[in-house]
Amino acid sequence: MTMSAERPDVVTGGAGSPARVPWTQRRGWISQHVGTALVLGLVGYLFGHWLGNTITGGYANNLNSGQNSTADFFALLFMVVGWLLGIGALNYPIAKLAGRRPAKELDVEGWSKYFRYSTNHKTVGLQYIVGVLLFMFTGGLLAMAIRTELLSPTTHFFSASTYIKIVSEHGTVMMMMATSIIIGPLGNYLVPLMIGSRRMAFPRIEAFSFWIFVAGYMVIFSALPFGGFPTGWTGYAPLQTQAGPGMISYLFGFAVIGLGMMAAGFNIAITIINYRAPGMTWSRVPIFVWSILATAALLTLATPTLFAAGLFGLLDKTAQTAFYVTEHGGSSYLWENLFWFFGHPEVYIMALPGFGIVGEILPVFTRKPLFAYKVGAAGMIGVSLLSFFVWQHHLFQSGINPDMRPLFMLTTELISIPTGFIYLVGMGTLYKAKIRFEIPMLFAMALYFNFLIGGVTGVFLSDVPVNVTVHGGFFVLSHFHYTIMGGLLFAFMAGLYYWLPKMTGRMMNKKIGLWHFWTMFIFFNLTFFPMFIIGLLGQPRRVFTYAKNLQGLNDFSSVSAFLLGVSFLIFFFNLVWSLYINPKKAPANPWESLGLEWQTASPVPAHNFDRIPVILSDPYHYSEENAPAVADLGEDDRLVRAATTPDDTGAA
Amino acid sequence: MSDVTKSADFTSTPEEDEFELRAHIGSVWSGGRLFIGMYTFLLASLAFAYFYLRSSNNGLLWRPNHVTAPTAYGWTIISLTVLASVMAIYGKWRFRKGGVVDWQVAGWTALFGAVLALVMQIWELTALPFYPGSSGYASTFIGFSVINIATLVVGAYWLETTLARSLRLHREIGGVQPELSAHAEAQSFRANVAAMTYFWGFVGLSGFLFFAMFYLL
Repeated sequence: MTMSAERPDVVTGGAGSPARVPWTQRRGWISQHVGTALVLGLVGYLFGHWLGNTITGGYANNLNSGQNSTADFFALLFMVVGWLLGIGALNYPIAKLAGRRPAKELDVEGWSKYFRYSTNHKTVGLQYIVGVLLFMFTGGLLAMAIRTELLSPTTHFFSASTYIKIVSEHGTVMMMMATSIIIGPLGNYLVPLMIGSRRMAFPRIEAFSFWIFVAGYMVIFSALPFGGFPTGWTGYAPLQTQAGPGMISYLFGFAVIGLGMMAAGFNIAITIINYRAPGMTWSRVPIFVWSILATAALLTLATPTLFAAGLFGLLDKTAQTAFYVTEHGGSSYLWENLFWFFGHPEVYIMALPGFGIVGEILPVFTRKPLFAYKVGAAGMIGVSLLSFFVWQHHLFQSGINPDMRPLFMLTTELISIPTGFIYLVGMGTLYKAKIRFEIPMLFAMALYFNFLIGGVTGVFLSDVPVNVTVHGGFFVLSHFHYTIMGGLLFAFMAGLYYWLPKMTGRMMNKKIGLWHFWTMFIFFNLTFFPMFIIGLLGQPRRVFTYAKNLQGLNDFSSVSAFLLGVSFLIFFFNLVWSLYINPKKAPANPWESLGLEWQTASPVPAHNFDRIPVILSDPYHYSEENAPAVADLGEDDRLVRAATTPDDTGAA
Repeated sequence: MSDVTKSADFTSTPEEDEFELRAHIGSVWSGGRLFIGMYTFLLASLAFAYFYLRSSNNGLLWRPNHVTAPTAYGWTIISLTVLASVMAIYGKWRFRKGGVVDWQVAGWTALFGAVLALVMQIWELTALPFYPGSSGYASTFIGFSVINIATLVVGAYWLETTLARSLRLHREIGGVQPELSAHAEAQSFRANVAAMTYFWGFVGLSGFLFFAMFYLL
């Protein structure tokens, strides 16, 4: 079945006979879109709740308890199914089951395509940008609530139980968001362009990954009306077992998001392996693509463990099993092991794409080749592999055999070696460089500053004696905010400022961008650096009160956090200003990059490249004498070639 | 293959079409293997839970009185699963030798076995001699049952859609054995058959390992 070029709303069957577009894919309200998804999600929720109560309402553990975990779980499960049905994610599998050729998803023109099940990787990438920003905004509001509570050790805005639920929701939302913040928006949008492909390997799986991600967002926020959960983002048993229905949202939310992560990683990994343009050998793959491949490997292999851990937790809640109930033959440590077997690779799921972004940006703004490119790629693979062998360092204080501690201390310290490789690739590129301080470059350099602090404190934390001392305190909290927010989020911003001109055809306002950068950089450090001191002075995490003598530092940190929040408002303002209020058309290649993604037309055509390019070298030969051409675009013998001097315009 | 979004005035060269077909077939091949890798980590998590709780034996409640899930059900389920697995592999072997009808018969037989195994696995949950939370063994068995149900559903779905696709190829391409033709759809179909069979081989093997863990050890 092919799309008719003459009549976009008509598809031709195998025999060539025209057939009407099914109602599910028509333009307008009578079709499948986010509205129908919401309606069917609501119907599914009500149906699931009724079904759960009907089946298990009479069971002894539910009778007269005022609570039915099975009904709560079924409600969420059927809500997700209804959501997927409404958005059109199940059309294809159902059609296949019935032996019919599935109708091709139409890419509707105009803004409404962003509210539909699109198989265009660029549309999905932009959908992801809005999705993760929404995640980040709501998680950020919860962070503001946390810092508001910590303004005073004695005057409270929230009760102790409300406070821990806010902390838990904040942590969970942010971690869920952070796993997809780069691979979702930038990975989906850019990877096919960077490898010279016209498409993703499995576009429906790609679309599924986004819409299930949104469903996961709703599931995890359903915890709040269910009364929240008191476990922090790590969900440790036995507290998990004792918690109320909000815990179901946590467990199921992680499982749902996990499905999305696996789908996204699976599709992108297969795309990179199979759809690289002719000539793009592994030694010519852009460093960002390497980082996404390493991340995809972690997503596909580590996330099933999280999924299993969530499933076991849900069975404890609904079928009354005892996986995490020590008194009934289970073990709370089982959750901790399974959770961190996923949880530590997750740290690198978040860190690696950030280094991929800055690895792309540094050569462009220094006009130098990427230093030790192959070492950087090897470092990313090394980090991926080693990340599966360090999870027990999260349990140093949680009852593991003390004899095991040195082994996991060693593996944790070992991982700093490939991480150091990646870091030194950046430093080597910056060495003796004439830097263009554009906004993306500023964010990229800020990442190196922040990650240095986050990384070095991480090496401290891997040592058992230090870990024993500072475990569970603000020192750890500050460490991971420096690595994740200071690394990942700064890289994400660098990537947005760098690639948005390609994605939207609009330049971001530089003056507002500078305000955004400096406020974010300064207040990020002023927020989180004092927390190292607060932690060393003994303030524990997740507790809404603290020693009176720490109020000054806490207030300093809180006020800085509010101003950090303002920096994000500046970013949102810049986004609206630059894209809608005062749009400035972006040049085709505003940064003079050699990257393949910049060589195709702007706006990027649906099929990405008129001709599949032939790759001739890696895209980092900036300012080199006799630099080889990067790619043959096949259009009038057009070659992409590096400029030989920093003043030259580069790609031609 | 034809899923890619293209603008109306876009045309690709025959070389590009061939390149995309090769990439698509490679995707099915490597996708099938990666899917098995993902499934392996899921099953490894279950195996970890099993051995962790078994070795912990908290409160001597790993498996009080050596209670076991009904072995008659267990033997029936694993026999049907292995039957489905063997039939899928045999069918693929015949398919490679040109026996498309043999593959179809083997495929429908495998599907029948898989669905029957699925029904038996669900039925077994109603006949357990223990309460789900009564021991570590009981808990992990329930976990295994749920995962096995999911595995059989996925496997049966893949079998059914592959068989249905075979019938569709007859309608759309025509000919005696369109599955073996040089048509791009047929090439894609063959890659799918190979990936599906590989998955069923994995299901049979892993099913036997878990059967041994839960019913024999």
